[in-house]
Amino acid sequence: MTDSLNVSVDRRDGLAVIYTEGYINNQGGEEIARAAYKLLDEGFKVLLLNLGGTKIVNSIGISILIEIIEKMIEIEGKLGFCCLTPTIEKTFQIMGLAQYAPLFRDEESAVAQLRG
Amino acid sequence: MTEPAPGPDSQAWTELLGLYRDEAGEATLPDRLLGLWAREHGATAAGLYLQKDGLLCQEAAIGPGLPESLDEASLDAKPGDAKPGDSEPGPFRSLRFPDGRLVYAPGDNAQSYEDAVGDPLTLLLASLIRSCRLRRDLKDQQFQVNFRVVELENLYDVGLAIAATLDLDRLSEEVLLRAVSLLDARRGALYILEDGDDPSQYRLARTFGGEAALSVDADDPDLFSFLAGSDTSPGLLPGATYLLGLPIAVENKPKGLLVVGDKESRRRDVGPFLPSDRRTLALFANQAAIALENARLHREALERERLEREMHLAAEIQRQILPKGAPYVPGYQLVGWNRPARQVGGDYYDLLALPDGRVELVVGDVSGKGIPAALMVSTLHSALRLLLDQAGFGPSLLERMNRHILESSAANKFITMLMAELDPGTGLLRYLNAGHNPGFLVRAGNDRVEELSSSGVPLGLLPNSRYQPRELVVEPGDILCLYSDGITEAESADDEEFGNERLIKLLRKHRGFTLQEVLETIQGAVTRFAVGRPQYDDQTVVLLRRECLTPCPPLPSPRPPIPGRGGT
Repeated sequence: MTDSLNVSVDRRDGLAVIYTEGYINNQGGEEIARAAYKLLDEGFKVLLLNLGGTKIVNSIGISILIEIIEKMIEIEGKLGFCCLTPTIEKTFQIMGLAQYAPLFRDEESAVAQLRG
Repeated sequence: MTEPAPGPDSQAWTELLGLYRDEAGEATLPDRLLGLWAREHGATAAGLYLQKDGLLCQEAAIGPGLPESLDEASLDAKPGDAKPGDSEPGPFRSLRFPDGRLVYAPGDNAQSYEDAVGDPLTLLLASLIRSCRLRRDLKDQQFQVNFRVVELENLYDVGLAIAATLDLDRLSEEVLLRAVSLLDARRGALYILEDGDDPSQYRLARTFGGEAALSVDADDPDLFSFLAGSDTSPGLLPGATYLLGLPIAVENKPKGLLVVGDKESRRRDVGPFLPSDRRTLALFANQAAIALENARLHREALERERLEREMHLAAEIQRQILPKGAPYVPGYQLVGWNRPARQVGGDYYDLLALPDGRVELVVGDVSGKGIPAALMVSTLHSALRLLLDQAGFGPSLLERMNRHILESSAANKFITMLMAELDPGTGLLRYLNAGHNPGFLVRAGNDRVEELSSSGVPLGLLPNSRYQPRELVVEPGDILCLYSDGITEAESADDEEFGNERLIKLLRKHRGFTLQEVLETIQGAVTRFAVGRPQYDDQTVVLLRRECLTPCPPLPSPRPPIPGRGGT
């Protein structure tokens, strides 16, 4: 795991997956938001955030993720998270993210559910 | 008479009231209100902005050109509520409310500023923006409450992790990552105080988010003041602007450091840590202290277990080295006994019947105790058996043994040894004494005691030691006693030594008993003498008596009962 966040994107038919690797903090969160909003501009309305490469997230990063969720609700899109560490999954549950963006164990089931 | 303030027509009011009544209408109310306001006041665009982290952030907007956020200073440098002349010329004008701003782009037929201020719609927008602020405050507070729960859960999880594993690397990472994330730090490091009697350096165990000093002097005055709360940094996280660090201590003894750097905020880059952050970090430092202490205790337990296993193995090896019993020698009784002070010892004895009938008796004492002494005992045993086979009993055996011990042992190690060879037929006993306690031969005929005194220095001390063989004849009824200094130097509670005299007295007094009884008498006497004192040295006794073919000479005194055996 690297300390600063690396973001990569996989565009698929009607869905895009954003992969993160590293710390989701202020800078990392902004990187994710940039990637997400760019995908929205490109017309993707279904996004999956694969956090398999992330072990650590702070409150600023969470607040940015909440903003992305709010944006997705606003445009009536879909957003999901997958491959979370137990610590991050618990954090998302407590912070209420899971109420608005489903959490999936793996990418395959996430893609299937979000497309369904 | 004052003109009534401009406002929406009755149809618009009816529509607005409908939106208020309908819960679903709440979402569209801001846009509808802004639309009405813009129409009434001839604005081409209008937006509601809330103050947040020094910026004006858009909450709702209609019309083109209004940015998501605005710098307040660029709109209006003058404080105060909305009043005439409050706006600046330019693309946007603004009305200041207690909780934010109404920003609008005036059109060609825009109403005057005074009209805008006095409009009931403007008051409704002011009320709306207050509602937005309250909603945002509630959301922020809910976020903070939830994050406090996350913090508690993290501390709980770290506690569970500490209870579940003793992997110090993993626990260090757990503690550091959780501390960094929960304090919104950008960087962090965990240091552990080096082991040793005089630890003086904190060694970097884990780092996150950037470089950290590899080690820190524990006596650095800057470190002391930094841990006490000053801003003076001892260079722990090079490049970090804001640092917070606390010692990891067990029973007030420093064991490590937990340091975080550069607290993040949403709108600004990084800033200083808050007093509450110090308390949170202290909780993690406490968890780290427990983890470190558990790991240390576990390491020690493993080490103890390993040593016990090795000692057990060594004791077993030594048991195999020492004779399991005495060989049968016609016309003689022979017994040997050894009791190490620890699991393994440095005393050695051997009783060996050669094919031609001669009998070798050996008692040795290696300097030191425990495993090192036991290893030398093993060396002595192997070399003795080999040399006895090659060279037979004699000075050359001890001289070669001396060279071997000298070459194969540490400089301060030596062995005292008394070796005797008995011809059972004649009773001739030849012996060599390399610095060992003198053996005693208690004569049956006259009750005199002859000493088998030393004829050379201990083995392994000098390279060219020479040993003079001596001899005597064991007569029927005589008792030969070879022993180690653990017998004669056993100390009582009054620091008195058991001594040669007590041993000789026992031999004389009990020489009418079987040798096994004599041996048990010596064991019991030494044990009772040293009661209350731990056994300091290994104890060894070898006894030999030549049987009488005719009745033995009379005992010097009536046969006394053996203590603890009920008498005979």
